[in-house]
Formats: sequence, C-alpha cells, structure tokens
Amino acid sequence: MAAKDSGAAETADREVFIRRVFEAPRELVWKAFTERERMEKWWGMRGLTTRVVELDLRPGGTFLYVMRMPDGRELCGKWVYREIVAPELLVVVHFTTDATGRPIPHPYDPSLPPEMLTTTRFIENGRQTTMELRSVPINETAAQRAAFNKLADAMEDGFNNSLGMLDEYLASARSEEK
Amino acid sequence: MVQQHMTADRLDATFSALADPTRRAILARLASGETSVSELAEPFAMSLPAISKHLKVLQRAGLIERGREAQWRPCRLSAGPLKDAADWLEHYRRFWEESFDRLEEYLRELQKKEKKNGRKR
Repeated sequence: MAAKDSGAAETADREVFIRRVFEAPRELVWKAFTERERMEKWWGMRGLTTRVVELDLRPGGTFLYVMRMPDGRELCGKWVYREIVAPELLVVVHFTTDATGRPIPHPYDPSLPPEMLTTTRFIENGRQTTMELRSVPINETAAQRAAFNKLADAMEDGFNNSLGMLDEYLASARSEEK
Repeated sequence: MVQQHMTADRLDATFSALADPTRRAILARLASGETSVSELAEPFAMSLPAISKHLKVLQRAGLIERGREAQWRPCRLSAGPLKDAADWLEHYRRFWEESFDRLEEYLRELQKKEKKNGRKR
C-alpha cells in the first residue's frame, strides 16, 4: 500500500485518501463532476459503460447510475448529495444500490461497506486543479466493522504491520487459485 | 442472493476464527510458508490436540488448507476470506483511481477540442 505516483496515500486506517492534479481549470473539472453527460464519460472502472439515470445536483438530491460490465452484468449505485459548494466542494454519501436506487449490499462482496461518506475538494492551482478525495465508511454493520478490526489485530500480532507482505502472498495465492 | 448469504456466513466464520490470539499467531506463522502441525505447535505452550482444534476452526473458516499428503499434512494459508476482509477499502480506492484516470483523459480530450474550436467554452 505504498503511495502511488498519482499522490495516493493512506492517511488513516479507515479512510481512502486520493490526491490528484488535473491539467484543467477548476471550472471544467467541476463540470465534469456534476453534469450528467460528462459523468458518463469517466465515472467507473475501465471497461464498464456508465449510464446516468438521474443527476439532481442539490443537497438531498441523487446521482443514480448503472454500470454495465463487459460480461453484461450490471452494477448500480448512487450518491446522495450532502453539501455542494461550486466549484470547490462536494460532499456525498455513496451507496451500492439496485436499479431503482434502493441500497443493497455489494453483490460481489458483502463485506464492502454499504455507505461511504466521500468529500471531494477542488483546489484551484493556476491552470491545474488539485483534487483531494477523502472517503470513510459510515453506517457499517457490526460484522463489517469487526472484519476490519480483527484484521488489524491480526496484522499487529503477526505480520508486524507489514501489509505488503500479506498482500503479496495473497495475490500470488489467489492467482494460483484461478 | 443465496450466494450472498453464503458469503456472509463465511465472513462470520472468518471473524470468529480471527477473534482468538493463538489462531491469529498461527496465521501469522503460516504467512511465511506452509508448516507441519508439530512445527506450528512449537512456539505455543500447548498440546498437539489443542493446536489441532485451533486448526480445525481456521480450516472451517476457510482461512487455512491442509495438505492431503498423509504423513504430516502441512498447513498453509488460504487466500479467499482474509483477502475479502482486507480488500474492501483498497477496492474502493481502485474504483476511484481508475475513474480519475479516465477523467484525466476526458479532460485532456475536451481541452484539445476547445483549442481547435478557438477556445470557446
């Protein structure tokens, strides 16, 4: 879990923090993040096709999307906007949902947290825009929280906090499995 | 949905198996390679049957595998459940990182076009 070139770094156990610099003015980055047609151009992993069902940019409003995987299966999710300060701050709660926007456990891995509180800052930086994204799980089930805590204990006891070693091992073990 | 429940049950088994410090220590030991039961038992002030009991719990949780080679039946770490529990934030991060890669490309394309069209927005 070393920091990547893009500036990704884990600042705390229980959050995802990503810092990225985009070669584009802030207004444009903001538009890409808040307009329906533009979201469809980039939101989601490579190979997925994203369709925006709804984008209602106001506090309490919803951004609902459907992602189609190469094998035809669909993954849906939504953001509920909490705070919108154009063009500098966007706070949303991110859910995995069914096609109607009803929250569900992640279909491929129920241990994934059901709700992520995600705060994105858009910082003007000349002709560049620095984006800082911070995401923490909220409203986890006891089991999901336990998963993380138990695992953290196991790491401390046995692996001397060396996540890298375990990652490597598990990655190789998994590729053997397949 | 059935599959989802199976996974949830398996996760429960994973968590209760991880709740015990001896079992965590066994997993840690196995992270450096497969080992026989007697080798595993060495650092613990515990009888072989007691260790075997822990191994059974770990095995049921899918956290370890036992070799079939009759004599010493080596234990090794099994990837699945631990990986699931460890991966959730990493998975989420990857989702964003990859989206941002695409955003980067999209913004680049967009500005190229703008330049061509004489910088109108």
